[in-house]
Amino acid sequence: MQLAATIRGTKYRFDSIKEVLAKANPPKSGDDQAGISARDPVERVAARAVLAELTLHDLRENPVVPYELDELTRLVEDTLHADAYQAIRSLTVGQFREWLLETSTTGPLIRSISRGLTPEMAAAASKLMSNMDLMIVGAKCEVVVRANNTLGLPGRLSARLQPNHPTDNVEGILFSTREGLSYGCGDAVIGVNPATESAESTAEILRALNGVTTRNNIPTQNCVLSHVTVQMDALRLGDVPMDLMFQSFSGSEKGNRAFGISVALMDEAYAMMSELRSSHGPNFMYFETGQGSALSSDAHHGADQVTLEARCYGFARRYKPFLVNTVVGFIGPEYLEDGAQITRAALEDHFMGKLLGLPMGCDACFTYHSAMGQNELECLKVLLGAAGCSYLMSLPVGDDIMLNYQSTSFHDIPSVRGLVQRRPTPEFDAWLHEMGIMDGLKPGPRFGDPGVIR
Amino acid sequence: MSTTRKLIEALRERLGQADPLPSPPAIPRIQAPPARVFPTARTRSCYAEQAAAHTAAILGIGHVGTRYATDVVLQFQAELAVAHDAVHTVLPDDWAQSQGLLPLKSRVEDHHQFLLRPDLGRRLDEESLERLRGNAIQDVDIQPILADGLSAVATMGSGIRLLETFSNECRFRGWTVGTPMCAKYARVWLQDEIGETVGARVACILLGERPGLGTGDGLSAYMVYEPRMGKTDSDRNMISNIHARGIVPELAGRQLAMMAGAMLDQKTSGVSLDLSGLTAELGQAASGGYREPQRRVRLVETDR
Amino acid sequence: MILEAIPPTILSVRRIHAAHESVLRSYGADPSKHTSLGLVTCDQDDSTYVALDEATKHAPIDVVFARSFYAGANHASGRLSGEILGVIAGPDPDTVEEGLMALVRCLEHDACFYSADDGATIAVFPHVITSLGYYLSEEAGLQPGDSMAYLVAPPIEATIAFDAAMKAADVRLVRAFTPPTQTNYAAAWLTGILTECQAAAEAYAEAVVEVARRPWDFR
Repeated sequence: MQLAATIRGTKYRFDSIKEVLAKANPPKSGDDQAGISARDPVERVAARAVLAELTLHDLRENPVVPYELDELTRLVEDTLHADAYQAIRSLTVGQFREWLLETSTTGPLIRSISRGLTPEMAAAASKLMSNMDLMIVGAKCEVVVRANNTLGLPGRLSARLQPNHPTDNVEGILFSTREGLSYGCGDAVIGVNPATESAESTAEILRALNGVTTRNNIPTQNCVLSHVTVQMDALRLGDVPMDLMFQSFSGSEKGNRAFGISVALMDEAYAMMSELRSSHGPNFMYFETGQGSALSSDAHHGADQVTLEARCYGFARRYKPFLVNTVVGFIGPEYLEDGAQITRAALEDHFMGKLLGLPMGCDACFTYHSAMGQNELECLKVLLGAAGCSYLMSLPVGDDIMLNYQSTSFHDIPSVRGLVQRRPTPEFDAWLHEMGIMDGLKPGPRFGDPGVIR
Repeated sequence: MSTTRKLIEALRERLGQADPLPSPPAIPRIQAPPARVFPTARTRSCYAEQAAAHTAAILGIGHVGTRYATDVVLQFQAELAVAHDAVHTVLPDDWAQSQGLLPLKSRVEDHHQFLLRPDLGRRLDEESLERLRGNAIQDVDIQPILADGLSAVATMGSGIRLLETFSNECRFRGWTVGTPMCAKYARVWLQDEIGETVGARVACILLGERPGLGTGDGLSAYMVYEPRMGKTDSDRNMISNIHARGIVPELAGRQLAMMAGAMLDQKTSGVSLDLSGLTAELGQAASGGYREPQRRVRLVETDR
Repeated sequence: MILEAIPPTILSVRRIHAAHESVLRSYGADPSKHTSLGLVTCDQDDSTYVALDEATKHAPIDVVFARSFYAGANHASGRLSGEILGVIAGPDPDTVEEGLMALVRCLEHDACFYSADDGATIAVFPHVITSLGYYLSEEAGLQPGDSMAYLVAPPIEATIAFDAAMKAADVRLVRAFTPPTQTNYAAAWLTGILTECQAAAEAYAEAVVEVARRPWDFR
């Protein structure tokens, strides 16, 4: 296969499809750190020109981590939908980008071929797209899921309530929870990142959250984001109200090993949740991802972080999750340096996840040592809202007092919903109206009054 | 365009109704809104008061429309500025020497590169390596290393006090302590190369931790037994949140010495180190990466 | 704001490709030349009458049925009823589709009511048909291609505006619909050369706005 392009008389040659994918990537400090990015903007365009001519079949035949070495590659390859793949296999990546953007290519049409796409195909398409391209297609994709409520319907924007506490003080967690609910947050999930990884404290927090949702009749889900094995232990304690089960994913088998998980373990966890969960719908898993996680555990196999991120989604779709989100700016400037890179990554991840059929949310965030400002972060939240992102996070003033980073605030959620005219899940919307917290898109009489929650 | 629509447009114009916005209502009397301030001991709402007993999260701050009150915005911006300031402060080149410390530097060339290339921050540059070989005491029990990490503000703030307390505690226990040194542009794993070069049994790097909102002055200490390049995070133990409002340097120095003692006794560190005998002395630090909740203080006050 | 367009909402548009003979006959179609039907419901009856007429200019179809519902769209029998059902008939589904396309275009961009007061609690339909089609020309007893002012307003406004329009332009009355119509409005169809129809419509709209402003004025 000829992998070369000429720009103004200079010929650019590439040795492998993996190299083309890496060099076609928009600038990311993580790819620089890995030493795989394009050396200048012209080489980057040359790589894109080569990529645009490759067929989706070429991408399937050349996964960035070989079949023999990696169970995620095997999982995707062995479960690819044959008819859906057949329909798109001969398109070039450039043609695939255009097909996605065509007005006649509707959400249902995209859904019909989604299962025939490998993560590498989704990543490749993203590399030929501008930010607004990513938003247009992301907004078209339709992914609707159901647990205790229905997430992802058109015209809806949900929020995870994230009442973290540095010592898992349950009272402290509940204070943040009640305040968040009074701002209309929490329809995606009330999800706590625990400080302590133990089955007992996971169970204790779940029971406390369940107390709030039960007492107040709130149609939502609860989750404690401890390691999946800890959550399985918590389920074994018996009578633990676990609506969603959580795990972080990486884009290669080696990266997942560093996270202490495998396909077999996740299959076991999924089977256990099918039996023991407390939520009512067909979707009950929750996954988090983020560009750079594979490189940080030296598990990137020379592939770029966008493609590896897409591979997380290829893994996640096996479990028909209720929520997936990319924690986009959490990893730090050595992977995403500044506001431009974090914004780009957020829109890429949302696009790729939706294209692969996942209910994508985004933790629009930064750590205090990355070069992103508060205003840039606020802009990103509006972009995500306009792109049809399924949900955002929400914390008091956006400040995570345990993980020490800046995310979306309780106040941001009703603000973005108002700006892009989107409402919470219908079940939660009705509850907010009944409680007087919201009046449609406008704050209601009890808005911001945590006293309304018992 | 339709005939009728054109006709109606002209009529609208003639009737003086062309303006697509209706005229605004009568000008009202605008009252100053009620004070909505960032919660302090004096001013906080009942909910903020109750919440503060359990969490440092900023709660009970009310809202203006769906946004923050002005006072909350300023307080928030001040906290953000403090964090950014801590990250962007660079340790002056002559600071180590002025404090009587052996100056070292990683392979990082500037602050920007420091943030983007953790790999370079884990290795000493040639000059520092030679200086270390030529000037540092060899074959010591404990090698303390002060470093900038992600907050030079913290290093220059309580770094010296922590270094001295820890060193004294070690000497008091009869161990040999290495040459006091300070590394610039340093990541945690730099302790491996330094410790290996001086032949230390235990290396302990004291460095500025990644700032959180409103806190830029926290230090963390990471300790490893038999420092060698190639050690990983699971080979290390740590104590974080060392600053005036968290674990004070004097206490942290003592706790670190006890941790070093455990390493020397058990000849290991990291996940295989048993600290259960020191639970009372080390508090939560014995159970791993614990961070005390920060207490919030009001940062902005104006003179009127 | 006054004289802002109040766009009609098209509630349904359907086709019956090969309608049953009983249906064709019941709705006024002629089975010897009509096979397919096109149906539309809308929340503005007068806009739809104009749009149905417009359709006859773009496709060889006939308007076989068009009736307003009692008391108008605010008292509709269902979500899709609105205040009128219009039925066009043609020799085949494609012809009917062509007619429906023209009808929808007219409803989206031309025929509509306008607000006569702030808040649009009073509406006026001062529509000028530049060139009549086959449907309204027959209803009006005029020739296809003639101009006509199709003027509608609530009862008192309509009565005063009718008078104003007749006095303002060189037009002739074709038909007057005194109140109440099915939807409780009143209407007048006037004809003349195009510019006179325009002058009449303008005077009619202005008068409705004026009555809306001063409903009490008799001394």
